[in-house]
Amino acid sequence: MSELSADGEPAADSAGITVTIGATVPTGFEHTAAEEVKEKICVDAKISKDRGRIYFPITTDKLVQVHRLRSVDNLFVVVEEYDHYQFKESKEETLAELQQLASKLPWNDALDVWKLNRTFKKKKSHRRGANKSKAKPDVDGQDAAEVENEQEGVPEALSEDASNCDGIDQAETSTPDQEDQPPEGKVTKFRVTCSRAGDKHSFSSNEAARDFGGAVQEHFQWKADMTKFDIEVLLNIHNEEVVIGIALTEESLHRRNISHFGPTTLRSTLCYGMLRLCKPQPSDIILDPMCGTGAIPLEGAIEFRNAFYMAGDNNDMAVNRTANNVFHFQKQQADKGSSFGLPIDTVRWDLCSLPMRTSSVDIIITDMPFGKRMGSRKKNWDLYPSCLREMARVIRPGSGKAVLLTQDKKCFTKALSRMGGLWKKVHTVWVNVGGLHAGVFLLKRTAAVFGQTPEDVYVPQADRSSHKEEKDSSEVS
Amino acid sequence: MKLLTHNMLTSHVKGVIKGYPLLIKATEVKVNEVEFNPQFVSRMVPKLEWTALIQAAEELGHRQDLPDELIPDYDGNEEFLKKVHRTLLEVEVMEGCLKCPESGREFPISRGIPNMLLNEDEV
Repeated sequence: MSELSADGEPAADSAGITVTIGATVPTGFEHTAAEEVKEKICVDAKISKDRGRIYFPITTDKLVQVHRLRSVDNLFVVVEEYDHYQFKESKEETLAELQQLASKLPWNDALDVWKLNRTFKKKKSHRRGANKSKAKPDVDGQDAAEVENEQEGVPEALSEDASNCDGIDQAETSTPDQEDQPPEGKVTKFRVTCSRAGDKHSFSSNEAARDFGGAVQEHFQWKADMTKFDIEVLLNIHNEEVVIGIALTEESLHRRNISHFGPTTLRSTLCYGMLRLCKPQPSDIILDPMCGTGAIPLEGAIEFRNAFYMAGDNNDMAVNRTANNVFHFQKQQADKGSSFGLPIDTVRWDLCSLPMRTSSVDIIITDMPFGKRMGSRKKNWDLYPSCLREMARVIRPGSGKAVLLTQDKKCFTKALSRMGGLWKKVHTVWVNVGGLHAGVFLLKRTAAVFGQTPEDVYVPQADRSSHKEEKDSSEVS
Repeated sequence: MKLLTHNMLTSHVKGVIKGYPLLIKATEVKVNEVEFNPQFVSRMVPKLEWTALIQAAEELGHRQDLPDELIPDYDGNEEFLKKVHRTLLEVEVMEGCLKCPESGREFPISRGIPNMLLNEDEV
């Protein structure tokens, strides 16, 4: 596409310069993210050995579209990348080398992209007050302040909860009066964030950040500021892979749709990854029988609009939050001039006894109680088998698919092993959810008609003798 | 609650054999615009219980002269598909209740959300 001319200036090409973009995505969903990049940006993404990161080349005219990717938590532009960086033996030498590196790196293109990126952000001088209330994951009944949705093109920095997935503290950039670039004479403020993984390094991430940062400061004459920075320089070191980049997102995009948080709200990028896994088709009926705040069905209704979503929960607050989130999103769209309602409905129900016709649903996608933040391990032993049976009943035999997220892998796998006649495990994606190691299980419903396999007559131990006959007759609906 | 949802909901009160379709008693109905997608509608039609849909639309006064029985060749018939689209997705029951046709048990609908939870003794 476009070439750089000899002095590094962008060629007279309306597409702009070519740079490499790095994106952090939920670990485990690197491939679905790469699929989305291929589909929407039409380029091939490289999946880094450093889990949760993908890289892909773009011309700068594509930057706006890149911000619209639904799989991506954070974006940065690569300054330089080394696949096999040879670290020196001693800490002193290594750090000295990093310092020297600062002035030798090809910063120009990346800085141009950073400047361009800034022009996308609308000035939000009223934000300061509004988003100081952050909803923590374990606070019940608290509704977070309103969150901007970046649906049409440009990302706003979102009011975000503090539990950031990669443990990096992302502070607010609070310069409401600052234009695209610092006015004349005003010093650019920056900070360096270093993430380091590997057991052969002689230095810590703090030391690298400190020394590299010092050299960057020298080179550019910027001012270091940990909280009110204009530019965030990223130093990612994963074994021999070293990537230096400049952040393009201030805060994670991952809770974009949700304005009413609940205790275990799932980030939208994870929801999107799960939805992509089940490949919704036009007219698919998609069920989330324990929807919580509705993160999954809402993401689906927005991003895979040709299906219909039924979100349900037994909890009163959850159901209200879901409805509020849907309403809030629709209202935002209306404010922007698009008045269409979303293809989603909310119902209050008991998922072990769904008030739904047999074989009426095409896809079930849900976040199952983990037993840590919600429910309990003991409850899961009874809940999981009942769930799986009831889900098998309402889903279409043969074509039905389920995508289920759970941290209680042992209980789930055991419950599933008893349901071979109804469900087949197709694929598992291992993910990280709020620091917990969880699995996303993709299941296919067998063609067996419900009511005819031994699994259908499962009755909990205590009830076995008296209730068996009643259960048998009520299965058919 | 949209009528597409209603088309799939059924009464699960203990002992009930014919809990479908649920009768609708609506005190507040809204019509909201939803983007029309002909492919969505024409693929959805075979998944529906048509009679139940017509009955529900009739109960809400939004039948729009849809036929008792499905017409053949509805696929390319945009006018027909638009009416079905409206019935399925645009007409919403905001307040009222759903009633089990056999037991008479009523499930309230509030702010568009049906509450299908049963009491302990009904399960």
